[in-house]
Amino acid sequence: MAMPPEPPADPSATPARRPGFAPDAGSAIPRVFDRALIARRRRTAIATAPAGTDFLVDRVAEEIADRLAPVARRFDTAVAIGGPTAAIARAVRDSGKAGRVFRADVFAAGPDEDLPADLVIDDEVPPFGPASVDLVVAGLTLQWVNDLPGTLIQIRRMLKPDGLFLATFVGGDSLSELRQAFLAAEAETTGGVSPRVAPFVEVRDLGGLLQRAGFALPVADQDRLTLRYATPFDLMRDLARMGAANPLAERRRSLTGPGLLRRAAEHYQAANGDADGRVRATMTLVSLSGWAPHESQQKPLKPGSAKMRLAEALKTTENPL
Amino acid sequence: MSLPPSLGNRQAGAIDPKLLEILVCPLTKTTLEWRSDRQELISRSARLAYPVRDGIPIMLPDEARSLGDDE
Repeated sequence: MAMPPEPPADPSATPARRPGFAPDAGSAIPRVFDRALIARRRRTAIATAPAGTDFLVDRVAEEIADRLAPVARRFDTAVAIGGPTAAIARAVRDSGKAGRVFRADVFAAGPDEDLPADLVIDDEVPPFGPASVDLVVAGLTLQWVNDLPGTLIQIRRMLKPDGLFLATFVGGDSLSELRQAFLAAEAETTGGVSPRVAPFVEVRDLGGLLQRAGFALPVADQDRLTLRYATPFDLMRDLARMGAANPLAERRRSLTGPGLLRRAAEHYQAANGDADGRVRATMTLVSLSGWAPHESQQKPLKPGSAKMRLAEALKTTENPL
Repeated sequence: MSLPPSLGNRQAGAIDPKLLEILVCPLTKTTLEWRSDRQELISRSARLAYPVRDGIPIMLPDEARSLGDDE
């Protein structure tokens, strides 16, 4: 398919990474997300977002609270990676499972009188020493890291033995309706397409990623939500207010014209409209948990160490091979 | 930014010592040096100084100051 020529890249969008230290320097990790842009959007969202736009982070905080509740141990030191609100840190604090909770906001500190941010971090390069923390919780941030395996390895290293990592973020087929609507509208109006909705990680890949990062007892699952909006424009406005508008490095840099937006909204409405005129949007929250290995954890026995015959347990007769 | 007086670890010019204990340079994961006069956390190995604003360490490599030759 013929692609329209790319306008020159915005120089302000490529951060002056220091050679040798940037996590993506000299490696083959594709830079899918424009992290400097995400940082600017996060700051704008903190300064301008009206009340009510933080419903998704609140939902994620509930999810994390539900996952912490049945955990049968206490954690001395916890880091809650999140923002722009204090919802994630508050969920960890109110669980009663953690002693000291450090609220680490990604890219910018959101205000909160009751539970202010303790530090500001880039979750691609968490600034915590090896084996320094007992509990790490990441809420609604990991969907935008370029190198998820690398980030998971760094989180694994900051955990003490028998430390726990919990994360919930956007994944799966989230916003697939919006992606389809833009693809259809853009192909019609410009004869080409450009990336507008981020690719999301599939839950089936996450268990393996956790294991490769060195986590014991890895678990990954997902919760598929359906959001309903009066019009597709309300969905787009909500995403923008959350600082979640198109974060892709390879996005088209020119402004999206009103004609294309209108056409995308028409496609959206036609494919995902309900009888009452409202439109559906899929939001899939993927959740993962993993433990830093410790000898107290359950693990498989050595082969040949069984003290009972399988045939006895199954009440059957063993047939020699 | 003004903070309620109950947050003792947030007085101007101070960082929670427990936080200092676990913080490292995000890029090199090496220990940091706290310079209260400049309100900066110094990473010798990365040659960067991370600013501390209103008692909040900003551990973003893109916002850090490069150390001069005499530092």
